[in-house]
Amino acid sequence: MSIAIAPRAAARPLPSGLRVAARQLSGVKILIPFIALVGVWWAIREAGQFPERVLVSPARVWDTLVVLASHGVLAEYISTSMSMIGIAAVISLAIGVPIGFLIGSNRYAARGLEAFLRYLQGVSGIAWLPLVIIWFGFTHTTTLVIVIYTLIVPIIFNTMTGVRAVPEHYALALRSLGASRLRLITDVYLPGALPSIVVGLRLGMGYGWRALIAAEMLVRQGGLGDLIFGARTSGQIDRIIGGMILIGTLYIIVNRLLVQPLENLTIARWGVLRK
Amino acid sequence: MMAVQNSAEKIVVSGFRHFFDTEDGPVQATGEINLKIAAGEFVTLAGPSGCGKTTLLKAMAGFLRPTEGAIHCDGKLVTQPGRERGVVFQELAILPWRTVRRNIGHGLEIAGMPKAERDEKVARLIELIGLGGFEDRYPHELSGGMRQRVAVARTWAADPDVILMDEPFAAVDAMTRLTLQEELARLCAATRKTVFFITHSVDEAVFLGDRVLVMTRRPGTIKATIEVPRRSPGGRDWESFTTDPAMQSIAEQVLRMVRAERGAADADEKREAAVAAPP
Repeated sequence: MSIAIAPRAAARPLPSGLRVAARQLSGVKILIPFIALVGVWWAIREAGQFPERVLVSPARVWDTLVVLASHGVLAEYISTSMSMIGIAAVISLAIGVPIGFLIGSNRYAARGLEAFLRYLQGVSGIAWLPLVIIWFGFTHTTTLVIVIYTLIVPIIFNTMTGVRAVPEHYALALRSLGASRLRLITDVYLPGALPSIVVGLRLGMGYGWRALIAAEMLVRQGGLGDLIFGARTSGQIDRIIGGMILIGTLYIIVNRLLVQPLENLTIARWGVLRK
Repeated sequence: MMAVQNSAEKIVVSGFRHFFDTEDGPVQATGEINLKIAAGEFVTLAGPSGCGKTTLLKAMAGFLRPTEGAIHCDGKLVTQPGRERGVVFQELAILPWRTVRRNIGHGLEIAGMPKAERDEKVARLIELIGLGGFEDRYPHELSGGMRQRVAVARTWAADPDVILMDEPFAAVDAMTRLTLQEELARLCAATRKTVFFITHSVDEAVFLGDRVLVMTRRPGTIKATIEVPRRSPGGRDWESFTTDPAMQSIAEQVLRMVRAERGAADADEKREAAVAAPP
């Protein structure tokens, strides 16, 4: 990364100790904006002398998080949110990929439904909440429906475009090797569309996570959205900010530990869409 | 019509004509084509671009149904792709998510050959095409020439009777192309496949073919057939080809015919342009 700035350093391989240090430095670089944000937050709080019900200090939020964690409350809220997004992702893949395949393998269907899918993306999951609450009440089902709806559209859309982007002669070549229709799907279209499906999953997880928090705030059946919205009614600023920090952190963790390894496995190794 | 079928005739194209449906109505892709290819024969087809060469090959492969006429392979009407007719494309058609070994063995895998037997056969082919040591590489880690070798090997591994090749070496650099052509000539001499090979290179057509067909400009028909005397398989290299006066005179003859069609095609275009936009 920044190692290559000095030409001499680039020409000579760095000693391994230095290289490790450089990598650690780039790790610190990621943290710099966060540290700056906390610094600004702390400075505003100190300068303004705000009362506790308007703004609390970073240290106070940290203490609250530690207390909540030690009582097991945090684990409860986190596990609700995580299992919701997990279940939604599995169901969305199980339904969305076959639908995307069906649409993608038919030129007319793909052309006809593209505008419709875009339209659905416009009517966000949150906009469905009033209707879905009327149908399913304030339940986990309602939350799941909203999150699946949000997650599944990018998965369908990207599966469809992925299938359509597979070069025609891949399939023709395989047909002349005697491949059946099923073979074409398992050996050509599914692996060919996989990088695009993973992109759809990543986008969907991003949208879905946001929709999940929003749905939890209204449905109030546990989860991090419930945590921060509940804290609002009792004016617990420390819980609200702590919950927000967790929401962002968990999103990064899900993305880093789940989606990115998947992406590296398919995209980088096959050289299909090299970064 | 095809009542009497000579058993030595592998492929018979009779009364073939093809039209493509476009928004402006049907467009004629080829004129009437009649063609017989004997078993074990290497036939090359040269012609100006856009003359319908690829359309003919696609119909032989079974990828499209001819508008008129019929194509028979071993006396059976061709209606869809089949394992007995392998195809090597100009575009790279090996799968980027499969290693060299798994790409070459793909046809055998589809045919249900047990893994041990398959690996053995693939290993022999990999040696033959000089890709030893690259078995577990992915296509994006190979050079263009190596990739096209894998594509050719995949088709050969499936052991079809007929191999249809659509400018397979067009996208490779010139030096590599010479090597690939020599390798193909050797491979064909060793395996006695029936090959139908499309090219727009006159030298390639004469170098590889037992018989060279020259196609007219669009809508293409077969303008001439030139027999190329048999050479010994060992003598099939570019050095002896370029120094053989007999070969050179054939190449010159083919070149003159192809150029005449090219020139006529250009003249057609100019005339059409003049009609479309009068001065």
